[in-house]
Formats: sequence, structure tokens, C-alpha cells
Amino acid sequence: MSSQTLTELLWVEKYRPRTLPEIVNQEDVIKRLQQFIKEKNIPHLLFAGPPGTGKTTAAHALAHDLYGSDYRMYMLELNASDERGIDVIRGKVKEFSRSRLPVNIPFKIILLDESDNMTADAQQALRRLMEMYVDVTRFILIANYPSKIIEPIQSRCAVFRFIPLRKDDVIRRLRWICMNEGIRCDEEALELIYEISEGDMRKSINVLQASASLGDVNVSNVFKVVGLAHPKEVREMIRLALEGKFMEARDRLRELMITYGLSGTDIIKQVHKEIFGTELTIPEPLRVEIADYLGEIQFRLVEGADEEIQLSALISKLALLGRAAKTVKTTK
Amino acid sequence: MRKLPWIIKYRPKKLDDVVNQEKAKEKLTKWVELWLKGIPEEKAVLLYGPPGCGKTSLTEALANEYRLEFIEMNASDYRRKVDLDRIVRTAALQRSFTGKVKLILLDEVDGISGTADIGALEAILDIINVAKNPIVMTANDPWDPKLRPLRDVVVMVEFRRLTKTDVRKVLNRICGDEKLVCEEDAVDLIAERCEGDLRSAINDLEAVSEGYGKVTLELVKNMLRQRDRDYPPFDVVRKIFISKYAWQAKQAVQQTDLTPDELIQWINENLPRQISDPEDLWRAYDYLSKADLYMGRIVKTGNWDLLPYAIELMSAGVSLSVINDVKGKYRWVKYNFPQKVLIAAKTKESRQLRDSLAEVLAKHLNISKAVSKSDVIPFIKVIFDSNPEIAAKLALGLNISESMVRYLSPQNSSKIIELVNKFKVEAGKKAERLKREKISERKLGVKSRSGTLDNYFTGNP
Repeated sequence: MSSQTLTELLWVEKYRPRTLPEIVNQEDVIKRLQQFIKEKNIPHLLFAGPPGTGKTTAAHALAHDLYGSDYRMYMLELNASDERGIDVIRGKVKEFSRSRLPVNIPFKIILLDESDNMTADAQQALRRLMEMYVDVTRFILIANYPSKIIEPIQSRCAVFRFIPLRKDDVIRRLRWICMNEGIRCDEEALELIYEISEGDMRKSINVLQASASLGDVNVSNVFKVVGLAHPKEVREMIRLALEGKFMEARDRLRELMITYGLSGTDIIKQVHKEIFGTELTIPEPLRVEIADYLGEIQFRLVEGADEEIQLSALISKLALLGRAAKTVKTTK
Repeated sequence: MRKLPWIIKYRPKKLDDVVNQEKAKEKLTKWVELWLKGIPEEKAVLLYGPPGCGKTSLTEALANEYRLEFIEMNASDYRRKVDLDRIVRTAALQRSFTGKVKLILLDEVDGISGTADIGALEAILDIINVAKNPIVMTANDPWDPKLRPLRDVVVMVEFRRLTKTDVRKVLNRICGDEKLVCEEDAVDLIAERCEGDLRSAINDLEAVSEGYGKVTLELVKNMLRQRDRDYPPFDVVRKIFISKYAWQAKQAVQQTDLTPDELIQWINENLPRQISDPEDLWRAYDYLSKADLYMGRIVKTGNWDLLPYAIELMSAGVSLSVINDVKGKYRWVKYNFPQKVLIAAKTKESRQLRDSLAEVLAKHLNISKAVSKSDVIPFIKVIFDSNPEIAAKLALGLNISESMVRYLSPQNSSKIIELVNKFKVEAGKKAERLKREKISERKLGVKSRSGTLDNYFTGNP
């Protein structure tokens, strides 16, 4: 490993492509974006696709290729999941979009990441700004679920769909990083990382770096990382609930939310994985029934006010189903 | 003549006016008579019993009857040690010029709080110790653990909860004195609903007669509906759980100061303590979850018209969900303060650290704080827990603080911080060496002779 250097970055940052040609997959998207560079003009853009497929990276690379390495001077970045209210749109975004243009560039860029988390009000306000200041400002919107972006905004944007990364692409990238870092890696381990991360490049690289910190990147280290990174409290919570120990299960829930800082949706997703996983032995019909209620609770989580109450309802359902089945056993 | 509130106007002047506390009366008069002869061993009494049963009234009547000077300190006064010292101590130590005994009343001592009235109990104990005047204290709950030292040095006098008949007797007497038209059913209802609290019964009677000049059943019913007392959260939660009918549960909600979102936390905390049948519990939680859904919609849309539905689901919905184990709702269980609030306060620091760490990472990686927390921090934790050297390099590269290092890996933090400092020194030396090399290169470039001097001054090996 690079023991001669005294500082280190996260590899996701260290090995992030800085320019469009460096992005190895999403060929269609990249080809079209490079056309914009040639014309030195872009329309409003909407990048849509699953997490870790290169949307934000592509947006930054695009700006870099347009303006050079000081591109951040001409770009306002906002993450809508951190700043999603109408105030931000009316304040920061409006301020930046109507500010005077530096002489040497044709337009500024406003990058709105995770824009599907913007409230409906904020989106309406945004729509007006997109029209009013189009001569000096272009917007790049990034979203996992483009359907959550209101129709009028979608119709003002050129939509680019980012496809899930192919297994070969991810593995090739991981191997390339290993080579640069001078670490040994098993082919099997890299495949496992891809499986675990479900095509999410960011997650893959994070798993890779954490595994490397344990020594070589081999299957056993990858498993170790995944085990350490995902709190076992989720499985524990499900097991206790199914055994009818509501109060104890609720303690675990509180630990997950407060100590680990997981959001309600994170927990639901992990419960979902566990329910269909192999560690918990659950009667087959029960898995489906639980999944049904999981979906309901995930919906209520988004609409509701208090995540703990919603997840407590889930635990009580598990306790009820667990008693009905009476055959739940756990293998670990 | 200025109009006095009835609870003052009809306050007992003589011991005989106090209803149905014969035992307490007897004990107290004996004790006061001892004081008239000298200073008895037991210098203080603690009167205890439910609110409105005559503790304060009896004390006042006692002072009246024996012509004692009466000094009162109430729960509404400040009771810090300095206040007690100033007022009570002087009263306790000095007799008036005429040698008259002073009766000192410390009302509602169970209301002395541990934090706001620091030292108050110790001060009271001190005062009792040196007192030359009789001291009467009252409390609703004398078994509060913080009152234990007090219990050891006082005479305990119990007051009974007044019966419906006792209350009715007093109300009828007032009706007569005021020459009021009082329907018997109406007085009955007031007497029943006051739960032995004579003070509140008299207030109710006065409120009705003041508004309408007469006391009828209809008017009393109307008023009682509007003017229900506020109950503490525990009682409200209990009332909700034991409701048989939807209206009872809804009424219980109206008897609290809690906001709907506080109330739903109280219910959420204590629901699983009260209800144990899994089916009942799930039914109740499903309603609570729907109530929360409406709360969320209210917040998001600002549409407060939805509030009644949220309230009905969290109260009636919850209590009527109990079908399998109906007895279970009446079981006495200890309730808890909502833990969510307490835990959140306790873990505030680490959550703040996590937040600022997430912010640092978000800037480096162009992601949101939420994604930093769910997809990045867990893996960094793995690195910090398993490889201090890489951890230290990352800490330097990402420029994260020592407290963040401690958050990421409590067990490795000191080792990592040590390495960070070591690397910093090395990096500093390296930078210095580079600089010096550059300087000497430049100097060599202009072929100055000072190259040798340079080495001489710095002592560079």
C-alpha cells in the first residue's frame, strides 16, 4: 500500500473521473454530453438513474470540460435532500441564477442533486426560475426517481437515463484501483463486491477500500466488512419481534435509529433484505405477508410524521405473525 | 362590599365548620394545646391527603380558634433556601412581643422541586430543629422519597378523601346562605364529579350560579363538559387506555395540556406497557401509525382540518383495539416518560458529531448528508476500527477533527490520534526539507558562496 504518503483520501474521491472521456461506461450519455461541449451550449438537463451510476460525476465532469479546472466558480451545487425547501429555491438559487454573468462564459450552471427530494412547492418555484433566467443560467437536475419531478420541469429538460453499471465495468474499475494501490485482490472477491453493492459503484469502491484495510481483498474480508458495516441489530430486532418480545425489539429499533443514525427507510430496506435472506428461518407464506406490510409501512413513513411510531407498528405486526406461525427458528 | 370568591367566603372559621375530618381535628388540637403550655418534642406536623379535603382550611380554623398568629408560605412562593431563611427562620425563632404563638404553614411541601428549590428541604429540617413556634406542612403525596427525612421528624396526620355526602352537605349550606335556587340533581352531579375535592366543587357551584343565577342540572352538565380539569400526562394516557366508549377516549384527550404530537409520543411510549396481547397490540399500533400519517399530512399541507381524525385514531382507535384481553387495559402498570425525547437528549453530542462528519464527507464526495450517513460512514468506521495507520492517513486527508476520530472508533482513537500527530510532524519535516532544498538550489543557481554558510547556520547534516 501507499505507505510512503502520509495522507489518504477515500477512494471514491481519489479515483473519481474528472473529465467526460474518463467515464468508462454510460457511453450513450457521454457521447451526447460531449456534443454539448463541442457546441459550447447545453439545455437544462435531467440526469436520472439508480444510485452510484455516475450521474453526479458526469455533471461535474461536464462542467469541468466546459469551464476548465476552476469550474466550481461558475457552478452552484445544492443537495436537495439537505436543502430542499422553497426557501432555498427562493433564496440561494434565485440569487445565483439572476446574478450577472462573468464576461468570459456563456452561462452559469446550477446543479441540484437528489432533486427528487424537493418539495412540490419548491419544484413549482424552480420551474419559474428555469424559464426566467434561461439566458444566463442552466440547471442540471439529478434524481433517482424522475417520476417524482413534476411534469412541467421534466418537459423543460433534456432527460438522460443512466443505466445500472454492467458487472464487467464495475469489476474492471475495481481491479484498476487495486493495481494503482498495489494491493492483491481475488477475482471472486471483486465479483462478490459487485453482487453486494447491486451495481452501485460508490458502494463497491467503499467496500473495496474497507476490505483492503483488513489486508488483502479476498472473499472472507469482504464478508467481514459487510458484516461490520451493517449493524446486526436489524436481524436481532426481527428475531426478537418474531419471538413476541416487543419491548426488547423496540430497544433495538431505538438503538438503530439513534446510535447508528439509520433513517426509517434504511431500516425498512434492511428488514426487507433479512426477511428474504437465509439467516432467518421464516415460513415461506410469512415472508410474503411481512413484505406486504413492509411496503405499507414504507409508504406511511414517507407520508407520516414520526418514524419510530411507524416502525413500532411494523414490530407489532411481526410479533403477531410470529406468534401465529410459532415455528420461527433462527440459524444464527 | 367587595365580592369574595366563595372558597374564601365560606372557608371554615371554626373547627366545627370543617367537615368529616374528626380524627385529624383531634390530633391537631391536642398538639396545639401542647404548644400553649411550652415547646413540645414534636414541633412539626405533616398533613396529608387528596386535594380539597380541608388540610389548609383546618389549619386556618385552628389558628383562628386558638388566636394564633398565622404565617403561610405557599407552593406558589419561591422556596429556595434563602427565601426560607428570611421568612420562616425569623418566624420560627421569634415569638411576638405579646408572647403569642405563631402558627407557620408550609403548604404543598411535596411540590418542592429538587432542582429549583435547592437546599429547601435541608433548610426546613434545620428550622424544625430550632423552632420555637408550631409548624404545619401539607402534602398530597407524603410518600415521595425526597420527603423521607421530613417524615422522620414530624407527626403524620392523615386526611380522608371527602365523601359525596360531605361535599353535598357543604354545597347545600352555601346554596341556603346565598339564597340560590339549587336543583338537588345538580348539586348531586357536582358532588359526584369533584372526586372528593371540595374546593373544586365550591368553585363549580359558584361558576354556575354566577353565570345564570340558578343551579340546574342542565347548566351543570354543560359547564362540566367545558371545564374539565387538566390531568397530568400519565393520567390522561391511563384514561385513554381504559376508555370503554369512543367519547371517553376523546374526552380524555381534551383534559390535557399536551400538544397532539406530544400526546402521541406518550401513547407510543406506554402502549406496549399496558397492552400485551399481540393481536390487540398490533391493532392499536396500526391505528397509532395511521394517526401519525395524518399528523404528517397536517405538517406537510398545513391542513389542520385533519387533526380530529389523528386525535380519534390515537385515542379511541387505540383503546377500542383491545378486544382479546380487555382486563389487560385495567391492569396497573408503571408508565414512562417518552424515552425518545430523553435518549435524543443523551445522544445529542454523538449525533452532532455524526452530522458534521457527514457534512465533511458530503463536500468531498459530492453527495448528500443522508447518503454519507448510510453509504459511507459505516465503511469508514470499519477502516478506523481495523487499521489505525490508514485511519490516521484518512483523518489527515479528509481533515477531520479528533472528536470525529473518537466517534468513528472509540477503541482505536488514541492510537489513531497519536499517529496523526506523528504524521503531521513528519509531513512538516518533509515540507521543510523540500523548501530548504529549493532554496539552496536557487542559491546554487546564482552561484553564491553562501551555500556553505547556509549549512553552517542550519547545521544541516
